[in-house]
This record gives sequence, C-alpha cells and structure tokens, in this order.
Amino acid sequence: MAPPTPSSHRPRKKRKVAISPGSNNNLILDLGDGKQSPAFPLVSFLWAARAGVSQWLILPLVLMAVGLFRWAVSLWGYSGFQVPPMHGDFEAQRHWMEITTHLPLAKWYTYDLQYWGLDYPPLTAYHSWLLGKIGSAFDPAWFALDASRGFEDPRLKVYMRATVVVSEYLVFIPAVVNFLRRYTRMQGVHAWSASIALVAVLLQPANILIDHGHFQYNTVMLGLVVASLDAILAGRMLWACIFFVGALGFKQMALYYAPVMFAYLLGVCTFPRINIPRLVSIALITLASFALLLAPLLVGASNAEARKAFASSPVPPMLQALPIHMDKNAVAYGLLFQLTQIIHRVFPFARGLFEDKVANAWCAIHTFYKLTRFDTTLLQRASLGATLASIIVPCAIIFRHPRASLLLPALSAVSWGFFLFSFQVHEKSVLLPLLPMTLLLAGNGGLSKETRAWVGWANVLGSWTMYPLLKRDELRVPYIVMTLLWAYLLGLPPTSFETYRSRPSQEDSNAQFEPSILTTLLHFSFYLAMIAWHILEAFVAPPPGKPDLWVVLNALIGAGGFGIAYLWCMWKLFTQCREISRQATEEESQKKKQ
Amino acid sequence: MADLYPSLAHCAIVAAAFKVLLFPAYKSTDFEVHRNWLAITHSLPIQEWYYEKSSEWTLDYPPFFAAFEWLMSQAAVYADPAMLIVKNLGYDSWQTVYFQRSTVILTELVLVYALSRFVKSVPLPNRQAAHVASLSILLSPGLLIIDHIHFQYNGFMYGILILSIVLARKQSTLLYSGILFAVLLCMKHIYLYLALAYFVYLLRTYCLSLKSVFRPRFGNIFKLGVGVVGVFAIAFGPFAQWGQLLQLKDRLFPFSRGLCHAYWAPNIWAMYSFADRALISLAPRLGLPVNTSALNSVTRGLVGDTSFAVLPEITKEYTFILTFLFQLVPLVKVWFNPGCWDTFVGAITLCGYASFLFGWHVHEKAILLIIIPFSLIALKDRRYFSAFRPLAVAGHVSLFPLLFTASDFPLKTIYTVLWLVLFLFVFDRVAPVPERPRIFLFDRLSLLYLTISIPLIIYCSLGHQLIFGWDRLEFLPLMFMSSYCALGVVGSWVGFMVVYFTS
Repeated sequence: MAPPTPSSHRPRKKRKVAISPGSNNNLILDLGDGKQSPAFPLVSFLWAARAGVSQWLILPLVLMAVGLFRWAVSLWGYSGFQVPPMHGDFEAQRHWMEITTHLPLAKWYTYDLQYWGLDYPPLTAYHSWLLGKIGSAFDPAWFALDASRGFEDPRLKVYMRATVVVSEYLVFIPAVVNFLRRYTRMQGVHAWSASIALVAVLLQPANILIDHGHFQYNTVMLGLVVASLDAILAGRMLWACIFFVGALGFKQMALYYAPVMFAYLLGVCTFPRINIPRLVSIALITLASFALLLAPLLVGASNAEARKAFASSPVPPMLQALPIHMDKNAVAYGLLFQLTQIIHRVFPFARGLFEDKVANAWCAIHTFYKLTRFDTTLLQRASLGATLASIIVPCAIIFRHPRASLLLPALSAVSWGFFLFSFQVHEKSVLLPLLPMTLLLAGNGGLSKETRAWVGWANVLGSWTMYPLLKRDELRVPYIVMTLLWAYLLGLPPTSFETYRSRPSQEDSNAQFEPSILTTLLHFSFYLAMIAWHILEAFVAPPPGKPDLWVVLNALIGAGGFGIAYLWCMWKLFTQCREISRQATEEESQKKKQ
Repeated sequence: MADLYPSLAHCAIVAAAFKVLLFPAYKSTDFEVHRNWLAITHSLPIQEWYYEKSSEWTLDYPPFFAAFEWLMSQAAVYADPAMLIVKNLGYDSWQTVYFQRSTVILTELVLVYALSRFVKSVPLPNRQAAHVASLSILLSPGLLIIDHIHFQYNGFMYGILILSIVLARKQSTLLYSGILFAVLLCMKHIYLYLALAYFVYLLRTYCLSLKSVFRPRFGNIFKLGVGVVGVFAIAFGPFAQWGQLLQLKDRLFPFSRGLCHAYWAPNIWAMYSFADRALISLAPRLGLPVNTSALNSVTRGLVGDTSFAVLPEITKEYTFILTFLFQLVPLVKVWFNPGCWDTFVGAITLCGYASFLFGWHVHEKAILLIIIPFSLIALKDRRYFSAFRPLAVAGHVSLFPLLFTASDFPLKTIYTVLWLVLFLFVFDRVAPVPERPRIFLFDRLSLLYLTISIPLIIYCSLGHQLIFGWDRLEFLPLMFMSSYCALGVVGSWVGFMVVYFTS
C-alpha cells in the first residue's frame, strides 16, 4: 500500500487485501483449520492493521505509544543526580545551555574548561544555545551564569526531559519514519511489516535508556545519520552529505559511520563509470556545509574582543605546532585559534585508550595483560591499526559495490569495528552499531526468525553491557522493564524461545530464515551468561580486593558478544553482496539471451 | 471466527510494563491514605481499626477492604516494616512506593480475569466487539490516572463488579452474582449507587418467576437471602458485637462535606454553580438578591459548604430525592423485562449516571461508575456507541485536574488522546448497524461536541497560561473544563436514556 501523499491527486486505487503480507517475514503462523496466529506479540498488537489501515492512523498511534514509554522512562533518575560537585551528563548539557546563552561565541570553547567545558562539535553548541534561550524564558534561574551550577529542580528536569523528547521527535523520528518507508518499499516489504519494524526500531531499549534515562541527545545525531541514509536511498547524494556533516557536527561519534559514507560516496562517483562532476559537487557541498557549520563561531572569533579573550586562555596545542608564526592581533589568528581550539576540545587525543570498563577489545585484553605498560603513542597506533584492519574490508566492499541496500550491514560492521578497536570508546557508543543493525529489521526477511534473533540478541546484549552505567543512574527498573518489554514484543529470550524453535510442519518455510543450531547454542549461552551475571551481581559480593570483578566480567562477555556481532554483520554484508552480484549476472545473461 | 488479537494477556503485559515505569510519578494523598490503612490494620486489633485517628486519613472504607489491607500488610512486612508503623505519617521510602504500586498492578489481575470471563460469556458473533470493549476497559485512561498515578485500587474492585455483572448473565450463576456484589459493597460503599439496579434485577429475575410476578420462588429467595445476609454478617457482625456500628456509620458516611468536591465533578451541580457564578454579574440588573457571604466560596471550590449567591441553596434531601427518582426510571424497564441482561447493564449504567449527576459530594473519580458498565454494552449497536462517545471524551477529560504536576501533563493527555483515537476508531468499525434508525441531530451534536474538545484542551492546558500567565484567573480553565465535561456527561445521559427506552 502506497502511503497517501497529500500533494498528488491520483485516483484512488482499489486496495488489495493481502492474504500473506511480507512473504519472507513469516509474521503469521498457520495453525491449521484456517486459523492464524501472530508470530510474536508485536505482530499481534498490529494485527488489526494487517488488512491495510491508513498510515495516517497507525503512525500517530505508534508515535504516541512510543512517546509515552519515553516519557515514563524520563520520570526516573538521570546521570549525576545529587552527586556533587561534578554531577553528570545532565549537568553537562545544562551547563552548555548556560554558557552558550550567556557568553560570546569566542568563549564557548574556552570558558572554565575544568567544569564541563564544551567538548562537542558546533551543532550541539547551537542546539544548547537554542534550548537555553527557550528555557530561560520559562525561568532564567535554570541557566544563570555560574550561579546555576548543579541546579536541580523538578521543573528544570521536566524541561530538560522535554527538550530530549522534542529534539527526538523533530529529528530522529521523522528520519526513521521516512527512511523505513523508502527502505521497505525498495526491499519489497509490505507496509504492515514496515509498521511492525518501525515500532521495534522506536522501542529499541538502549536508545531510550540512554537518551531519556541517563540523559543525552544521541538521537539527534543518529537521526541526522538516518536522514542521510534516507537521502542516499532517494538518490539525493548532496542532501546525504549535508545531513551527514550535520551528524558529525552534532556529535563527533558519527565518525564511526564516516568511512562507510566516504567509501560509498566515492564508490558512487567511480562505479560503474568515473563521474568527476559528481565527485566535485559532493566534495564542494561537504566543504560548504562544514564552512556553514563553523561560520557563526568563526564570525564570533573575528573581532578584537574575541582576540582579547583568546589572549587569556592557553594556546591550543595544534596551533602551537603550526610552523608559521602569526601576529596575535591579526584576524586570521583569531580564526585559527578558534578552529584549532574546537578541534582540540572535540578530539581529546590526550585521554587514555579507554574509559572505565567498556566491552571492547582493549579493555578485554587489558584484563589479562596490562596495557598500561606501553607508551600511549604506541597504543594509539595499535588502536588505529586494528580499527583500520577491522573496517577495511567492509569499506572496500561498499566502495566496489556502492549499493544502497548494502549500506546497513556495512555501517553496522564498520561501527562494530570502531567500537571494538578504536580509541576512547564509551559504553554508550554501542548505540551506534546497534542502530543500523536494528534497522535491518525493516529489510526483506528482516522480521524472519534468523535476523530477528540476531538483531534482538545484539540489542539485549547492548543494553546489558550498559547495566553498570544505568545502575549508577538509578535506572535499574527502567532497564529491566524496557529490555524485557522489547524482548517480549519481538518474541525473544528470556521471555520466549519461539524464535529458536523450527516448525517442521511448514513445507514452504525457508531454511535460510531460521536460526541454525550453532546460532541457537551461541545465543542461549549468552542469554544464560547474562542472567547468571545478573544473579551474581545482585546476590554475591565481589571478592575483597577486586571490587570491580562483576563489571569486568560484564565487559568481557560483552566484548566477546560484540565481536560475534561484528562477524555476523560482515557475513551478512558478504551474503547480500553475493546475492546482488548473482542477480546482476543473471539479469545480464537474460539480456544477452534476448 | 474473528481473531481476537492482541489478546487480553498481551495488553495486560505491555500495560503492566508501562505502569511499572510510572512508579516514580506523582502520587496523591490517597497513597498515604492507603499506607496508613496498611499500618492500622497490621498493628492494631480489629476493635480499634475504626477508632484510630493519628492520621487525618482515617479508615473510612467498609470492613472487607480493611481486611484486604490487612492481607496486603502481611506481605508488606517483607518490603519495609517501617511503613506499617501507625505514627510514621507521610512515610514513602522507595520500598513502600514499589510495594504499594505493585499491589495495584497485581490486584488488577482480577479485572483481567473478569474481562476474559466477560469475553467468553458473549455469543460468538459478538465476541470481537466484546473483546474490543474489554480491551478498552483494561487500558482505560481512567484506571491509569486514578489507580496507577493518583493511587487507588479501582481496577481490582471494578474487576469484582464486572465479574458479578458477567455472572448475572446466566440464571444458574445469578446467586453468585448477588453474593459477589454484596462482597463488593462490603469493600467500597460507593457501589451502593448501583445497588438499586441489582436489587430490582435479582428480585424480578431470581426471586420471582420469570413468567409471573405473583409466583415467588421461595428456594431462590432463601438462598439469596442467606447468602447476602451472611456476607454482611461476616463483614459487620463483629463490629455489631462490639457495639461499634454507629462509629462505622460515621466513618463511612461523613455527611459533613459539601455539595461539590474540591474539583467540580462534571455533574448537574457543577452546571448549577456555573449558572450561579454567571448570575452574580447579572443579578443586580435583574434585581435579584445576592448573598454576599457566598461570593468567595464557589470559585475557590474548597471542600466544605458550598453556598450559592443567587440561586437557591441545595440540601442533601434534594439530592437524594433526585438521585432516587432518576434511578427508579430505568428500573421500571428492568422490572418488565425479566432476565434481560442488556437491560440490566443499561440500568446499572443509568443508576451510575443518576448518582453521579445528582449525588451529594460526588467525586470526579466516580465517573468510572458510568463508563465501565457502559463499556460492556456500548458496542451493542451504533446508537449505543453514539451515546457513549461524548461520555468517553468528557469522562476522561474531567479526570485531568486530578494530576497537575508538569511531568504528568504529557502522560495524562497523550495517554487519553491515544486511547480515544484508538478506541473510538475501532468501536466505530466494530459497532453493528442498529435495527432502528439513528437520530440524525444527536449524531451531529455529538460530533460537534468532540470537535470542541481539541481547542478547549489546548486552551486550558497551554493557552490560558500564555494569555493570562500562571496565576491570574486560574479557576477559569477549571470552570470551562468542568462545564464542558458536565455538558458531555449530561448529553450522553439524555442520549442513552432515549436509546435505552426505545430499544
């Protein structure tokens, strides 16, 4: 069913009532005697919509329902609540609203860096400025300069929570809705399956817990990435560049996706034939959007007052390293100072290989073989080398076969590579690989048992590795509820084992869409390990002298699982790529025959 | 057979997940009321339950509810014994909150069970409609707002009521229906409002022969009599033994309260007060005497004596007589249609209407007394549904003032809008075409009424503050809402009366 577009007045087509929509998804189980039942609970919630109910009704209902869950999670604690002196991410975001609304642009990246100095790219700064302005209209005390540090008030909390929800509904949700619509149409997936996938994507527990529980604005960045993907599907490469620059400009973490985007855009300009004008326009528009992104900050740094402000703050190391000597009163000096200071703030190379306990390769190795004995530069090089090694293959594939349908597995594989091997990884970064992987649910066969099992397993594992973080924020109950709810809706363990049970009665069932025995064993051992870990963590005190034992154990299991998830995404990429080239050769041979 | 998906269990699980997430939401003084009752029943001998007054929230529910609290307090010991100390006023450790909130969710399983019995009791062709109706009750924003945010145990008790209504469907289970309703009365006496319908229905259908009024069935009379009297004896017997009945009466029926509750429930008296307010400015021109001492009483809407400035005073006797009269009217039909279950449920609904609209000191929460029984028959055909529609909007919107914190605003509005859009749409698809033609004008008015709600809600929740600021004329939105809702409830009452007597 095509979504109704208000602009075009096509004559209404006769609606076809599909008997078995989403042929490769097996959403409806045949119980015999003409009785049908939904394959998993989420299907049953949208059961009434299977005969083609208007998207104009389903979409608002879905958005309201998922919005309620977001708001309910936001009633709980946030990071750094009543933990002076530094508090947490909530205070960081509030503090940025405070400094951006009160200080000239030249001071944004230099003001009192010890107390949550701004270390996100410019778009976050502008976003904070806007929210700070609006919030100050409600109550200026929330964002009073310096005086509001550590301010905690129920009304401020409501305002801040509302800004996350509104930002998400303005960026992430429209992007995901549009992307899924286009992607499912491209993949030949029925609109009903698409709605089901939409709910699954929007209820992804990790996103909700981090943004609406812990407190961050990840969905804005993720939404811009999805918007960029949507533009690629629509063939609007220039818009894709703009949105992706926006994502990078909102949160530097979008770099995890950058190699694939780069390889894809380069591939589009190279294959099937080299297209120089396209390459030039892509390069120009990217540069132009970066320039636009930085323009307000650079304009703010161009006056004499700004240079006076810069004179009192330390010179960014990158500027020091520049071979040229500059006059401190020149306009160019101010501009360079601002630019290098932003880069210095946004990319903290001076920090360690990893922070806290995070489920990636370095932390796992460190547990058994202390990495602190090595020099930081060596570790940085090792990390760079390992990351490059892990992403080179998917990037090469996407460069050689720049197909939009390969983007999701390639993005997942590359971001898993980054998560596992790169420098300065946070446990929250797991949202990045999880997003493209979860979007796979919307593809052809995405809701089949096999893909659902893998995507679901990765998501459950992902939120499980964030449990130590969520526990600190008093988000245990939302963690349990949201993760179990998602698992329940998608029919996954620990709530149901239906996904791993094969139904031999179905003659036409596709073996490739059912999880193999190996998959089942693997997933079950991980689910068991997670449950066992929770029991250990809750009831057994760690041995004296090793207070972090459970957290380390969590990171170790998580790293193992994410490594497997990386391999699965690679395998998915390979098979999809092979499938595409097989289809291409078939088409060619058919053409030759004709 | 039509497929019944999502099933009640699916919805109950997802709804429970949502309700667990609401643990830290706003909780009213009713939370403390119930904590206090847990403490009283746990730590005092039964003789002192109705005399204890350390807290201003004394035990004012009938004995079975007290026993229910006692039962829960046995488990509460393991959650946090400190909540069971009578002197620990206002105690709300997280264990207490988790414990009390989860008891609400768990006891609501009674409602799930009752609804599944209801769906099974309906003949196959209508089963899908019954399924939809029961989902609408299970997911009702009324129950969500009152039970899971505001804090009460309505889901549990409406579960018992529905079970009793379902049991009344078959002649063989009528006795249990009567006994169950007696049990319910001994838990919460607000259900006395519906008792007349039960009395007439049981008398006509169970105690007298279906064919003739003059042939009493003595066996049935005996069974029902013993059952009902037995229930009341168990509940009140011990207190009668200790000579505490008068004290119980004072606790259960505190008639010192005023005509209207703190927030105006959308009933006739709200409209009456509104008219009185409007007349204050007109009175000098019309030459009517104005009672100046009453000028400040109604706008503030405080608990206590509401006095009217222009219109004549309303006494308790008036409200009783009016309630009784309007309850009797629908019961005539029950009397002349013995064994007709639909008429019985209609009569329960109309008794709910009468008591809500004309009762003394009616709570806005009592709207559930109308909505829930009505939901069971709202899908009988489209005429029932069009009478139900304004009630669904007005009834739920009138609950909004119960929650007033900023963080509850999105919860109550979005949940209610979601419920209204979803169920009004689904009801519209499921409700069968009636045998008799519909009343054209009534449908149009009902549509107009629905349309007005959107700008009104926006004005009352946001617009008013933007125009007048946070604290000027703050009673105005409340008054608008109350009058609007009263109009809807009265309109749906009139509409339903017509449908009830013409079908």
